[in-house]
Amino acid sequence: LERASGGSTAFADVIAREEESLLNCVHCGFCLTVCPTYVRLGDENDSPRGRLYLMKAVVEGRMDARSDAFQTHIDRCLGCRACEPVCPSGVPYGRLLEYARAEAVAARRPGLLTRILLGVFGSRWTTNIAMAGGRILRATGLARPAAGVLPDLLGKVRFGLAMLASTTPGGWEPLSAPESSDGQRPPPPEDRATPRRAGLLLGCVQAGLFSHVNEGTERVLRVNGVESVPVPDQGCCGALHAHAGDLKSARSLARRNIDAFETAAVDVVAVNAAGCGSVMKDYGHLLADDPEYAERAARFSLGVRDVSEVLADAGPRRGAPLPLRVAWDAPCHLLHAQRVAAPPRKVLAAIPELDLVEVENSEECCGGAGIYGLVHEDLGGWIGGDKVAAVINTEASVLTTGNPGCMMQIGAGLIVAGSDVAVVHPVELLDASYRRAGFYDGDGPGRSGGLA
Amino acid sequence: VSRPLQRSLVRELARIVGESALLTSPDRLLAYESDGLTAYRAQPSAVVLPRDTEEARKVVTLLHGAGVAVVPRGSGTGLSGGALAGEGSVVVGMSRMNRILELDEANRSARVEPGLVNARLSTAARPLGLYYAPDPSSQSACSIGGNVAENSGGPHCLKYGVTSRYVTGLTMILPNGEVLQPSAPIAGGLEVLGVIVGSEGCFGLVTEVEVRLLPLPESSRTMLAVFDELEQAGMAVTDIISRGLLPAAVEIIDEATIEAVEASVYAAGYPVGAGAALVVEFDGIEAGLDEDLAAAEECCRTAGAVEVRKARDEDERMALWKGRKKAFGAMGRIAPDLMVQDATVPRTRLPEVLRRIGEIGRTYELSLANVFHAGDGNLHPNLLFDRRNPDEVERVERASKEIMEVCVEAGGTITGEHGVGSDKRKYMPLVCGPAELKAMADVKAIFDPDGRFNPGKVLPDGVDAPYAARRRVPSLSTRRAHPEPEEVRNRLDQLLGGDGTAGQDGHDRPMVSPRTSDEVAAVLAVATEEGWNVLPVGHASHPAVKRARSRADLLVSTRALRRVTEYSPADLTLTAEAGLDLETIGETTAAEGQWLPLDPPGPSSATFGAVLATGLGGALAGSYGRPRDMVLGLTCVTGDGRVLRLGGRVVKNVAGFDLVKLMVGSGGRLGIITEATVRLFPLPASERLLVARADRTEDLVETVRRVARAPLVPATLEVGEPRGRSNEAVVAVLIHGAEVAVDEQERIIRAIAPELMPVDPDEGRAILDGLRNLDGEVEVALRIAFRPADVARVIDGVHSVFGGAENVPGLRIGILADQGVLRWGLEGPVVDAERCVRELAALRDRLRTFGAEMIMACPPVGWRRDESSPAGEPLARIERELGEAFDPGRVFMDAHEAAAMAVAGRVA
Repeated sequence: LERASGGSTAFADVIAREEESLLNCVHCGFCLTVCPTYVRLGDENDSPRGRLYLMKAVVEGRMDARSDAFQTHIDRCLGCRACEPVCPSGVPYGRLLEYARAEAVAARRPGLLTRILLGVFGSRWTTNIAMAGGRILRATGLARPAAGVLPDLLGKVRFGLAMLASTTPGGWEPLSAPESSDGQRPPPPEDRATPRRAGLLLGCVQAGLFSHVNEGTERVLRVNGVESVPVPDQGCCGALHAHAGDLKSARSLARRNIDAFETAAVDVVAVNAAGCGSVMKDYGHLLADDPEYAERAARFSLGVRDVSEVLADAGPRRGAPLPLRVAWDAPCHLLHAQRVAAPPRKVLAAIPELDLVEVENSEECCGGAGIYGLVHEDLGGWIGGDKVAAVINTEASVLTTGNPGCMMQIGAGLIVAGSDVAVVHPVELLDASYRRAGFYDGDGPGRSGGLA
Repeated sequence: VSRPLQRSLVRELARIVGESALLTSPDRLLAYESDGLTAYRAQPSAVVLPRDTEEARKVVTLLHGAGVAVVPRGSGTGLSGGALAGEGSVVVGMSRMNRILELDEANRSARVEPGLVNARLSTAARPLGLYYAPDPSSQSACSIGGNVAENSGGPHCLKYGVTSRYVTGLTMILPNGEVLQPSAPIAGGLEVLGVIVGSEGCFGLVTEVEVRLLPLPESSRTMLAVFDELEQAGMAVTDIISRGLLPAAVEIIDEATIEAVEASVYAAGYPVGAGAALVVEFDGIEAGLDEDLAAAEECCRTAGAVEVRKARDEDERMALWKGRKKAFGAMGRIAPDLMVQDATVPRTRLPEVLRRIGEIGRTYELSLANVFHAGDGNLHPNLLFDRRNPDEVERVERASKEIMEVCVEAGGTITGEHGVGSDKRKYMPLVCGPAELKAMADVKAIFDPDGRFNPGKVLPDGVDAPYAARRRVPSLSTRRAHPEPEEVRNRLDQLLGGDGTAGQDGHDRPMVSPRTSDEVAAVLAVATEEGWNVLPVGHASHPAVKRARSRADLLVSTRALRRVTEYSPADLTLTAEAGLDLETIGETTAAEGQWLPLDPPGPSSATFGAVLATGLGGALAGSYGRPRDMVLGLTCVTGDGRVLRLGGRVVKNVAGFDLVKLMVGSGGRLGIITEATVRLFPLPASERLLVARADRTEDLVETVRRVARAPLVPATLEVGEPRGRSNEAVVAVLIHGAEVAVDEQERIIRAIAPELMPVDPDEGRAILDGLRNLDGEVEVALRIAFRPADVARVIDGVHSVFGGAENVPGLRIGILADQGVLRWGLEGPVVDAERCVRELAALRDRLRTFGAEMIMACPPVGWRRDESSPAGEPLARIERELGEAFDPGRVFMDAHEAAAMAVAGRVA
């Protein structure tokens, strides 16, 4: 995007193309009550309808993109996209928000923390350094106690440490012995003609802090007849950048991933982070103006699946019992952005004796929203606090959700609240169930976390 | 661009609500420049978002002092521009006041803040087996406060009624900052509550709402019928209703709407390409639903349905409804802008009106999409356009006006549920004459003398301001001593031509029986001029009238007004003059298999007008509603002789302030009702009375409690000692419905209260009549309004009077347990009146400790009105000023008291 000054050029151009979809908003207001910021603040500028109104005003030249109103309210949106499924006019809010963010960013530089965080994820080596640092800190075991004692004044640091602590694997499995009595055997020979080749997006945070989830994903896919093949040149999906309005970086990252996955010649791109999956399913739009990549991007996006979709398509195979009370909370970028609702439940239903309970208001955002929880500490904390309270209310011992951002946000919130509810990815539960069923026997020891 | 507020005012506002709850920069005010109707835009000077009643009160008081206009706003989903805030005004948004303050399972009620989203109340009540019935199509977004302002309906109000039926109490901040807390007018007084509901934010800022909840229906059946032609669907609806079926909802979606919905995320499997789809839903007790649905299906097939689909499960049902409810938003798919019109016509006129609307669309070359609540004749023609095309905008404007004219011509009205707001002010003269508009402005002026609340709404230019000048000063100075009866008779003979309408009542009081509303008006104009005291009567046969007549200079009787003006069975409406008795109305409607389910206390020879004037419901009111819920429109003559034609002949009508509610139950204090249109119901196919007996009422409380908790609404739930304490007490539960449904309801009730036994119809009739009339003359009578769950405490209370009920042989008690009404009557003669006064005062105080209210209907000698009424001074002032506005000469002054006694007489 070109840098715009005042009367917006780039934004106006983009919107001019999207005008029909923007004008689709008939101002009915159905989006207000599902918007976490509007519900709490009560200001229509903090509602989807209000933000669309601001966008229109900028396009029409009634408002300056540098204005405090545009900057504040566009920035304050979580990007959870809960407004999209309830919009009868089908306004593509998420996409419009990215354009608006780009415009806002072009008009006024975002805060230092935002720039640092985006900078870190923008390059593989800085990501690796940051993640290694995080793992070292996590390994010291100091993050959790430190999060407990740091004063409120250092809220961001405290919450950051709690987020880090929440990524520590294991510790949640029931203490009962692994089941092997009811005739559990390793999976039968492949019943597909040819196993499906999946390229797993390793992700930044996933690869850095949730490698146990990535490993588990490969194992459970294999049990279900999907072979993960290496995709060596992949990188960050660009979601954080797109959501923050840095479309240039997002496009560049998208092109790199398209190249990498095309080279690996996979049948399906499996993603176990909902936020990443959401943007990758949108690469087609992101690169629609790139003559070289437009068509390839559109094709690529069609092949992207959340890991729960891949598993649900394949069955999934039933594992051994895991007698746990588990609360499921749908990530916004899975439920609202990708409209994937049933598959995660189908995955969890493959685990006998798993008592699945609903989190009240489960379709509402947890306040994590990428780096939102760190950048908008107060509002993110408020929204997150409500989510944590709802999770604790379920009296479940485990909360499961399919996105690292949500896992860290809710996990950190639970740690700060002094709760010992563990937060895991659904794949981890299925993985444990399969391990108990003996599906991995012969795969070699030490491949899994947990207590087994 | 908005005009900024004074800096000092902004500082003060910020001090009250905090910086984050105050928007003043023009950029942030943009989002508030329109509501759901974007055709109108104007920017307020500020938006204030208070957190609670106290903050809201401070804000309103401050703005009042500063002379700034106030525009209340809920979710901003309104479709009439009702929340449009003009230059210099301040929007008070209710979005932060969105809590449920109380969910009361036992009393089936809730107390909520106005910003609460409609659907959230039902969601919260669901675990208790309850829900909030009014379901506007925008229920997932619109607020309860907005619903109160608009008196919103929704698809299911065909069976369940609109918002006003469910609002039982309000807290409203008057424009001057005073707090008003009107409650259900069961407590006596004027229907201040009823006239506030639907006042579109013009009377004050509602900050708390108390509503009634209903038990969730056990089951439902939903059906979709597809037609080639829209008119066929309309004919099917007419047939369904005239067969006596009472669906929960009947909705029509036309071809263009089907197309839009199917293209949206709410695609519900509506058949694209069909001329119309009709959605019919029945709900209630499971038994009988299939039969109802089959009957409706037959109606559809007869009308030419090409396909009938039934929702097989809850998912399919929800999908059918979702498509209908989100149709408005889905229009964004087929055109950039749309004007959602809203009008009601008598349902029998639907096919014709639909055809004419289609013609209007063709004339103006506009795309029209029709979505409507066909069961109650409420149309929503959607005009699709592009606001960038000025010519098209102009054509939309002209087509809208013609559509309104067509609907009014067909006997309908200009808005059924969206309200008048900014958009329809200009159409108000289509449905209201100058006298009615002026009367509405008078009422507005009582609440908002400076015209600062939601200015520029509802009333057309030239009527809505200035308000302060309308304040009337009662012309008491012109009142003189009682005239000689002879003088009154002479004057009336002169006036009416001396043809026998004027005479005397048999007690030597002058009485006149006018034959038309205009004659009533002429008489009252003279009465005002001469300063006479007028007592409106029906047959003047009631004992209470005898007591009051000695103080009246003239009795005005409605006995000569005895015509059924119009009866349209297929529309389920009847218009009749006030002097007709209920019995005759009952015979007329029974011939068509319909009835007016009113059973007020007293004999069925009571006149229609008297029943509406007292406004009292009987045992059936808990399920069917009170008179105010059934009157669609009426003609009345004010004290100074103005003839007002209020409301209309359609089931849903929110055109202007609801003065009908004010007149019904006003007890002859505001005017004489001369004619009224009521909604009728199909006669229940079957009825059954379940009865249990015991020695004492208190032994039946447990039975009452169990039935009250049952997941159904019986027609009546009464308990009492109709023949005095020495005889047995009885609890009676009446069930209505189709034969199978009655069997099933009996089964459900007897499963939880096996002591209830069915009785044969004759015995049942005798029991019900006994409870209704509490036979015998009484000297002292009162009513107690209480929360239904407090029934035991109320019974304890009334039995403690005079040192125990056993000591009072002539005491009769009847309790409408589902409504929380106790009627108490004491046979004379009262020997120790002083003690009686003392004991009843103690009872009143005791009742107040748990929020029950005693209304002295027929007081003992020496009884003094309690001045410390909990309703407070603002309510008393508003009632007084309403009296002055409609009866400036105070000709009905003494009638007030007489009316109270008429109530008493009927009660006991």
